[in-house]
Amino acid sequence: MAQEGPPSPETRQEQLFLVAHGISKTYSDGTEALKTVDLEIRRGEIVGLLGENGAGKTTLTKILSGLLPPTEGRVESPQGSVQFGSPREAMEFGIGMVHQHFALVGPFTATENVALGHEHPFSRVRLAKTRERLESLMEESGLHVPLDVPIEKLAVGEQQRVEILKVLSRDVDLLILDEPTSVLTPLEVDDLFDLLRRLRARGKSIILITHKLKEVQSITDRIVVLRHGKLVGNVKTSDATTEQLARLMVGQALEAGTSAVELRDEALPVRRDRERAGPEGETAIVLHVENLMARGSTGEMAVEGVSFDVHAGEIFGVAGVEGNGQTELVECLTGLRAPRQGRATIRGTDILRKDPKDIYRLGVAHIPEDRWEVGLILPFTLAENAILGIHRWERFRGPLRMLRWQAVQKHVTELMDRFEIRATGPNAPAKSLSGGNQQKLIVGRELAKDPEVIVAAQPTRGLDVASAKYIRELLEQMRGKGRAILLVSADLDEVLALSDRVAIMYEGRFMAVCAPSELTRERIGMLMGGVTSTSEEVCSA
Amino acid sequence: MHDHELPARGAERTLRRSLFGLSPIAESLVAAVLGLGLGAIIMALSGFNPILAYAALLKGGFASTYALATSAACAAPLLLTGLTFAICARAGMFNIGAEGQVYMGALATVTLSYFVLPPGLAQIVGILFAMTAGALWSLVPALLRVFRGVNEVISTIMFNWVSHFLALYLVARVLVDPARSSQTVRVPVAARFPILIRGTDLSYAAFAALAFAVVVYILLWHTALGYEIRAAGFNPRAAKYGGIKSRRTMVVSFLLGGMSAGLAGAAMTMGTPPSYAVFAGLSQIANLGFNGMAVAMVGRNHPLGMIASALFFGGLAAGAREMQMTAGVPTEMVSVVQGVIVVTLAVPELVHIFRIFRGRWPRLLGKRGEA
Amino acid sequence: MTWNSLINILFIALHAMVPITLTAVGEIVGETAGLFNIGLEGILLLSAFAGVLGAGYAGPMVGLLVGMGTGMAIGLVFSVIATYWKGNQMIIGIGINLFAAGAVAYTMVVLGQPGYRLLSFENRLPMIRTPAGGLSPVIFVALAAPFLVYWFLRRTRAGLILKAAGEAPEAADVAGINVNRVRLLATTFGGMLAGLAGAYMSVSWIGSATKELAAGRGFIALAIVVFSGLNPMLALAGGIIYGVFQSLAIWIKNTPGITFLPWQVFDMLPYVVTLVVVTGAIGRVRFPKALGQPYKRE
Repeated sequence: MAQEGPPSPETRQEQLFLVAHGISKTYSDGTEALKTVDLEIRRGEIVGLLGENGAGKTTLTKILSGLLPPTEGRVESPQGSVQFGSPREAMEFGIGMVHQHFALVGPFTATENVALGHEHPFSRVRLAKTRERLESLMEESGLHVPLDVPIEKLAVGEQQRVEILKVLSRDVDLLILDEPTSVLTPLEVDDLFDLLRRLRARGKSIILITHKLKEVQSITDRIVVLRHGKLVGNVKTSDATTEQLARLMVGQALEAGTSAVELRDEALPVRRDRERAGPEGETAIVLHVENLMARGSTGEMAVEGVSFDVHAGEIFGVAGVEGNGQTELVECLTGLRAPRQGRATIRGTDILRKDPKDIYRLGVAHIPEDRWEVGLILPFTLAENAILGIHRWERFRGPLRMLRWQAVQKHVTELMDRFEIRATGPNAPAKSLSGGNQQKLIVGRELAKDPEVIVAAQPTRGLDVASAKYIRELLEQMRGKGRAILLVSADLDEVLALSDRVAIMYEGRFMAVCAPSELTRERIGMLMGGVTSTSEEVCSA
Repeated sequence: MHDHELPARGAERTLRRSLFGLSPIAESLVAAVLGLGLGAIIMALSGFNPILAYAALLKGGFASTYALATSAACAAPLLLTGLTFAICARAGMFNIGAEGQVYMGALATVTLSYFVLPPGLAQIVGILFAMTAGALWSLVPALLRVFRGVNEVISTIMFNWVSHFLALYLVARVLVDPARSSQTVRVPVAARFPILIRGTDLSYAAFAALAFAVVVYILLWHTALGYEIRAAGFNPRAAKYGGIKSRRTMVVSFLLGGMSAGLAGAAMTMGTPPSYAVFAGLSQIANLGFNGMAVAMVGRNHPLGMIASALFFGGLAAGAREMQMTAGVPTEMVSVVQGVIVVTLAVPELVHIFRIFRGRWPRLLGKRGEA
Repeated sequence: MTWNSLINILFIALHAMVPITLTAVGEIVGETAGLFNIGLEGILLLSAFAGVLGAGYAGPMVGLLVGMGTGMAIGLVFSVIATYWKGNQMIIGIGINLFAAGAVAYTMVVLGQPGYRLLSFENRLPMIRTPAGGLSPVIFVALAAPFLVYWFLRRTRAGLILKAAGEAPEAADVAGINVNRVRLLATTFGGMLAGLAGAYMSVSWIGSATKELAAGRGFIALAIVVFSGLNPMLALAGGIIYGVFQSLAIWIKNTPGITFLPWQVFDMLPYVVTLVVVTGAIGRVRFPKALGQPYKRE
């Protein structure tokens, strides 16, 4: 893709903003997050920082922005060596970071949030003055947000804008953005990228952290790739191909026949009409949902009238940017939230407002989107986690209603074998496992129940490529066995590749329910952003 | 729902880190040593001889059969009130109400004097009365927490005070011994726990306490109910996802805790010669609840660890008298030591900090807000 | 009930309100910043005792100062362990209470008067004489404090910083705020007010320190903090409600002719009322998100 050219080679050298030499970081628990990374940032350029989860991108930028000290290495500017003891010092130097999980105070308004970083500790708050500054900043940058509403009531995209405004208001020269597009619709992403280009034109430098290959190719001048804490690539964007980047990012020898397209985040093959697996004509409706409405945790309506069916031997996907009601929808169907209105049944039996235990008894397995807070009890061992939800089964019951730990051990060892869960043993605490293995434990536990219905919410979020692939294959296998699967994922490629039918969710409603092949990416993007066409009938599904 | 749980929830997470952290036994030992050390300093500052004092403490607590028996006798009720705190801590809550639950349990057993029962049956009935009274007294704070989100620390402490005055009233007016107005009616001979070792205070109450501790251990780690209690104590959301009702586990744990405290009260009345009654000032049963908390913390909220820690604190209590006689140190010193031990245990990874202590002072004070 | 008795009850209520209000307002500051100090009871006890000792040597003002200093010291210890050493705040608080009970009892014995310590009249804080009776000057401090703290929290940037530290410490950190230092200062201040409350009880109001002086007031103050939703004005209201009930209880106990209920019932009254108040208040109250959790830069 064509882009505005970076400054010519001569001016480039003179316009170094910051250089990092040999940065290493080892955390107090021994994890080596960064190993001697060198990085150059020039004025007026957008640098993409690419890498998988755990590659060290966030750590590096936290060091640059003063949140963490490096274990080794130094940072230099043309004026000499610099050391940031705190985010404030980094700000004063001109570096500001927009975090992935916004650093905002919920009950404060946008004005108060911005004021927090500004004035002298004991002066009286001059909110009016800050407000004026913010208003002129909004005009300049084209970012608009309501200034007097507590930011916890704002939509995620708006919150991100407040975060950006906060950083811009400090007049930074280097703006670091950590995965900014994961919470934006495609339209909002375009707006953001326009802003970034305008900032670049004014001579600002930008570091964009992302794991999305297409994005990084569309906006950056240069791409730096990290893998397992090491710098493995530093290329001009115009010189790099998607395959090269993917290979740098992933680093493992790809299996024979695997093309780059099968890597995470690339255009996974969209499902064409595949035959429904299972007995001929087996299209029984397993999960039926009618006009479901539910409130979210902030009290506002999160699900506003959703209806759909999931058949046996089908994967029904729900796509959309996170925060549009998917979480609440799943919670209603799995007994974790009481809806306001609506009906939902599994083979005719009502499942709303029921206890999770009752729902599981109907043959439902739930892979929750939050594996730490919901799916696992981290201080428990693997064995103890392996029976969460099924701990009262006959199989595990011994004399005097006591737990038979032998049966439990057998169960968990089987799980570890079948699902290739790597850990020091069945009695290792769950928190010692890597994210991928934790997720495999959860998936294994749920699938071992031999369920009829599987509700999978964000099943591969934050996982390494191999684990994600493995779990996707498992889901396809279950589909092949005639199970009904509800797949909710913010990873559009994943949803499109796995689902037989997909619904695009926006602000609590299904904008469309189609077979993936019936929609263009552009159309999907618009639907995700809430833009509907005049014709109501989008698809046949 | 989650806002008013906040002090408790945050506490849960750090409770996990400090109470079930690295080398727990080492941490308890370090804490005990620090407590005793600080006690020695305070004693020296007050003009006493700490070496003499601690020697007397050891003697009075552990150096003879009589001493050991007395230590064990002191340890039994402490083990029980410790279990109260520990069971509820495993369920993710802070039950400070053992104090009041003990009062109720003790008073319930005294009412046995109004019945005529054969020995054997009398003890069982007495234990049942005590456990029921204790459980009922801890039921209301549990319900308040579960249904109204009332912080159980505040509610159990309020209940402690209410029971304090209620007990004073009952002892002075309702259950008073007509012959001696300074105490209640006595537990009938048939209902008293037989003494284990002649000439000491050690009765079968100690067995009852041990048995209860073992039962609690089996319950928590070898039954589905115990699994649910521990799961909900660590992570109520995940527990709910696993089909566990944390309301149920919270209430059950409080009831069990109340039963344990009630039993402690019974141990004091039915198992402590020569009075087998409750005094007007509630002196013998006072502070059992609070001391039990220290026992629980040092024992890492694990029944088996708590048996050892109860013996430790029982030994301190038993030896305190000897310490006073020989070295003149007031028995209140034991409470001081206890308090320091608990504060020390609040610091997670104590052993780690201890090592830092030897090395670098500035890092200890965390100049950069990072540990 | 005569006019005189009414005035009497009012005066006692004003005096009884002081320790609760001061302690609660101090704890509001601490909790706004994110620390939950259960050890207030211990602070009251220790500072009451320290106050008596100080006043005995050098007069009432010194006694009050010593009490405040004791409170600050314990607040400091609490916050260091809770912030820099990431300690569990509940356990620290419980430990402080245990330690205080033991230390005070021990020192009383060592100093010769087991269980109590009297303060001679000339060493007590002189009351302000009004036609209707004596009023302790500290009452006015207790009445003023809520307003000052309210203004501080709502209208100054320091108040914003405190709230940020308690609500979203990560955001505060990024904004350049030293979260642990803020929490330390907040809780030390809270300890100071609680220390003043304790010293007031022994040096000004009652005139002696006993082992049981605090009588649960530290926890009642915590309950009032819950009731107030971290609003100092509501804490003042709660303190006054408590004061009135305690005063009523004292009056009923001392008035001959009311014998239909045993005196213990009236002693129970403040605690029962507290329970009812807390139960009613919960649900509409919102606490800072990070309350009770130590902050660590990830």
